[in-house]
Amino acid sequence: MAKVLMKGNEAFGEGAIRAGCRFYFGYPITPQSELAHFLAKRMPEVGGTFLQAESELASINMVYGAAGAGARVMTSSSGPGISLMQEGISFIACAELPCVIVNIMRGGPGLGNIAPVQSDYFQATRGGGHGDYRLIVLAPSSVQEIIDLIREAFDLAEKYLNPVLMLGDGLLGQMMEPVELNEVKEVSLPPRPWATSGRMGGPKRIINTLIIVPEELEKHNLKLNQKYKRIEVKEQRWENYQTEDAQLVLVAFGTAARVCKGVVDYCREQRLAVGLIRPITLWPFPVKAFDYLLSLATVRYFLSVEMSTGQMIEDIRLAVNGRRPVYFYGRFGGMLPVLTDVVKEVKKLLLEEEC
Amino acid sequence: MHEKKLTIFVGNLGSGKTEIALNFALFLVKQGYPTTIVDLDIINPYFRTRMVRHVLEHMGVRVVCPRGELANADLPSLPPAIQSVLEDTFNYGVFDVGGDEIGATILGRYKAFLLKNSYALYYVINQCRPFTGDKASIIKNIHFIEKSARLKITGLVSNTNLGWATDVQTIFKGHEVVKTVAAELDLPVAFLSVRRDLMLQVSMRLNEDIFLLPLEIFMQPPWYYGITDPLLKIPQTAKEIPD
Repeated sequence: MAKVLMKGNEAFGEGAIRAGCRFYFGYPITPQSELAHFLAKRMPEVGGTFLQAESELASINMVYGAAGAGARVMTSSSGPGISLMQEGISFIACAELPCVIVNIMRGGPGLGNIAPVQSDYFQATRGGGHGDYRLIVLAPSSVQEIIDLIREAFDLAEKYLNPVLMLGDGLLGQMMEPVELNEVKEVSLPPRPWATSGRMGGPKRIINTLIIVPEELEKHNLKLNQKYKRIEVKEQRWENYQTEDAQLVLVAFGTAARVCKGVVDYCREQRLAVGLIRPITLWPFPVKAFDYLLSLATVRYFLSVEMSTGQMIEDIRLAVNGRRPVYFYGRFGGMLPVLTDVVKEVKKLLLEEEC
Repeated sequence: MHEKKLTIFVGNLGSGKTEIALNFALFLVKQGYPTTIVDLDIINPYFRTRMVRHVLEHMGVRVVCPRGELANADLPSLPPAIQSVLEDTFNYGVFDVGGDEIGATILGRYKAFLLKNSYALYYVINQCRPFTGDKASIIKNIHFIEKSARLKITGLVSNTNLGWATDVQTIFKGHEVVKTVAAELDLPVAFLSVRRDLMLQVSMRLNEDIFLLPLEIFMQPPWYYGITDPLLKIPQTAKEIPD
């Protein structure tokens, strides 16, 4: 087991290679470019293909093609580039092909800036492109977790034949942390019955997203929807941090969750019963985490801490379903929530009514 | 340590050039040398010298970096003041260059001026980083950087670390690799850089004559500080991340 110091962006690349991904198509954009830069060097070392496409539209369609041919394939970009990819992602979801897409979020809307934000939450969790579909969305919050989760991302993509989006902000992509790397093992990919690599005496394999007869498209929509229902039941992931006796539970993912862990530690030192739910899957949203906490009856409030003007709070409110009040604190535009400011919000909720 | 008026730090992405340049500039100022630090990083979007400009200026270092809006951009914009640092024979200049051969390309622009001066071009090595884990790959990268900078490396900086998880064993293991590179290329190891809180342990175990540069860590993620503008605050000594 070797310890190395890695940037988040590099960890996505190294993690993908360790998960058996041998095809990467992408296009540079700050603050994600180190991922492409890293794989440009690293892919040839393992006999893989790195290709810088002429645009994000081209990259996602190359991903579509490679996935159709049975490859473990990945692309990455940041907000504006991910917006350009939406048409292709919708096609891949309709065609039921597996791939992993990494979005290292930057300030928006529009060209915005290159600073860290979490404001692509809606785009990520609601499908993003046209039509009735979902992406599985994973949100790591440390460089080590990037390495660990990306393996799972590829496995989930192939298990459900659906694109998986990994969502991080610029800070997660840029910061360096020590990670433990296991020996690189040859990954034997499971059978790929969807791949257009020859019918081998079986049924015809056709990849198509034009389903022109309404009765048939409705059937296909229903099939996809049943798949999403299965994912919602089976694949919720989250981390509880000191929630058991918490009166106020913070909800935050990614970088905001790192800040919030510090907030919880600080509050606990001051004998304030504060905890944190950190969603790891943003879709499916970890509703079970809320149901469990609400069954304990100690929790009085939820406080959503986001690097946006308030997007995940909608999912929290759906999960809490009116059983408790849900409050919001956010910084945006590339500004970060900091410990003292979040603590102030916490104290406002927990202490003011006692005064 | 400071016989050359211009000191340039190059190295692979994430090797620690910025921290080294900042700390080296502060070291020179503390010795009483008038010092300017030049942010030549045209490839990194975050964690750049310009983010701690106010701290450095407060401590007496002149800072040359893109100003105003441009400081927040990832554009290769180079302020004209760089020229003054190259031509002023009184001042000591410390150059923080962007990572890899791509970042080093910028030096080609200043080659003519550098060759007229006495300069030190130091290659910073963190053996715990990808692509610089062993002698052969480090030497390969040195050649890449020399080629795109169109200049020869004149010394190595031994900067092996694992961020907050650095321990003395990690530092010495990396330093041994750096020494083999130095021997192979016949280059001096200019200094060994060590986080300030590890200095005592390292100096007690060290049995060679080498300059130790103590490091204050400036480029930290915001959860290290409980303040609104973390990147402008003078950092405390490194402590464990709270998870």
